[in-house]
Amino acid sequence: MSEYLETAVDKFVFRVAADRLYSADGVWAQCQGKRVRLGLTDYFQQRNGDVAFVHVKPVGTTLEVGEEFAELETIKASASLFTPIAGTLWDVNKALELSPETINEDPYGKGWLAVVEAVDWERDAAKLLDPQTYLSLIRSEAEQENAG
Amino acid sequence: MSQTATYHTTVHWKGDHWGHLVMGNGPEMDFSAPPDAHGFGGVFTPEDAFVAAANTCVMMMFIWATERFKLKLLSYECRTEGTKVIELDRTEIFSRLHFHPLIRVAACGDSPAVVEGRVRRALQAAQKYSLVANSVKSEIVVEPEVVIEE
Repeated sequence: MSEYLETAVDKFVFRVAADRLYSADGVWAQCQGKRVRLGLTDYFQQRNGDVAFVHVKPVGTTLEVGEEFAELETIKASASLFTPIAGTLWDVNKALELSPETINEDPYGKGWLAVVEAVDWERDAAKLLDPQTYLSLIRSEAEQENAG
Repeated sequence: MSQTATYHTTVHWKGDHWGHLVMGNGPEMDFSAPPDAHGFGGVFTPEDAFVAAANTCVMMMFIWATERFKLKLLSYECRTEGTKVIELDRTEIFSRLHFHPLIRVAACGDSPAVVEGRVRRALQAAQKYSLVANSVKSEIVVEPEVVIEE
């Protein structure tokens, strides 16, 4: 069960799970042995709206850091998602094909996107943000935008 | 979050219980109050405008949502009723907007249950993201009839 950090901006509350690392563009990475689970942050899903479709690249795809591993379509936007971890896609969340809204409902849990067999977790993790730093980043970004 | 846009209309009094409306997007027309509020029949009224604003906005948002959800929409028709309540102090409020959309979509090879699920999510999104529906304080009730055609 994850614990969360929270920040409120205007009427919005954004949660950041304390047990994983983050890319600045809203992808979380959680190391599970040799494998790393990837998903989208609560901030990302709230900012982009209700998810209509997500297309994750097939299992077996080899990815470098910064390469697109999935495409997301929401009611308001389309987005390319880039992996913060190099490796091979080992698993994708097939349940999202029928229930993509799970990304909105449970972004840190059942709404995970993919599992990567990492080439070098330590190397890639060193470039990611810890939960407190990511929380500060999104708070600053949201406040700046809210101020207009 | 705090991005803004503005929309405008202009009205002027034409005498008696008549007015003329010029809308920001171009159309203009005479208007009055409904007959039960000392106005005239057969013309645009604020009550119709309110219900129509919500009905048209939800429909346009639904059309957008069907495109985002990759649904093949065959037809959409929606009767919407606004219920007016007259309070003890004689103020009036639209307490409820009741939408009855009839939606026909093509299955396009998918199972009817999957398509219907997507239609209902598109409809929820239409309500959630409709500027007008999101701005009113009336209760909003949507009771769709969804027909999936092979």
